[in-house]
Amino acid sequence: MNATRTNKAEAEDAAAPDPKALEAIGRALEAHYASLVQAPLPDKFVDLLARLEGGQVSKTPGRRDALG
Amino acid sequence: MPSASFKDELLAEIRNLRAFAISLSGSVSLADDLVQESLLRAWSNSEKFQPGTSLRAWLFTILRNIYYSNYRKRSREVQDSDGLYARRLTVPGDQESHLDLEDFRKAMTKLPAEQREVLTLIGASGLSYEEAAVVCQVGIGTIKSRLSRARAKLVELLELNDAASDSPVERKVQRVG
Repeated sequence: MNATRTNKAEAEDAAAPDPKALEAIGRALEAHYASLVQAPLPDKFVDLLARLEGGQVSKTPGRRDALG
Repeated sequence: MPSASFKDELLAEIRNLRAFAISLSGSVSLADDLVQESLLRAWSNSEKFQPGTSLRAWLFTILRNIYYSNYRKRSREVQDSDGLYARRLTVPGDQESHLDLEDFRKAMTKLPAEQREVLTLIGASGLSYEEAAVVCQVGIGTIKSRLSRARAKLVELLELNDAASDSPVERKVQRVG
């Protein structure tokens, strides 16, 4: 760990990874994130914005301790 | 009172905001609390948003601030208790090189949080280096260095840079159908 740290700049230069590896990581990251974006969305967020727009929620965000 | 169009713009960002929150906290239930609180805060501070700048980056900044001030301690306790990460998701098999997503997720959780968030912001959420720097409240140089360290670490964790092999990536990815 210490040795790695001493040669950090050097290591970062040397560590320029294989472009194919980076591409694979990029794709996996996008796929992972897409699965999160596409996950079923609870209704409560849309409901919240509708209530905010209708003036049915106090403008002051709820206190943290109210949420536990 | 924020305009109706501001509300529509918020609506359009909810899914991305939630995805970022899940990446950040590692928990869907915490992420939902974070999104809820962020939307409230965004609504009541809408006049602080500068039109023409990225609403996504602005919302991410709000959510990240809430997370680091109030939630970070809680997140390790309940991390992934709801199992969304554990669910196996199929990746469209359009190209030859796909990593096993489950391996990838495990490797992501091993990154330091500051590297994981930068990787997510730039590699997945579509933020620019400049926007990511604003969200994370560091300089662009720090963003770039975290990003390259995150990528190098993933390459290492996923054993994609095996010097003994000519084509480590092909070998690694072919087992995914």
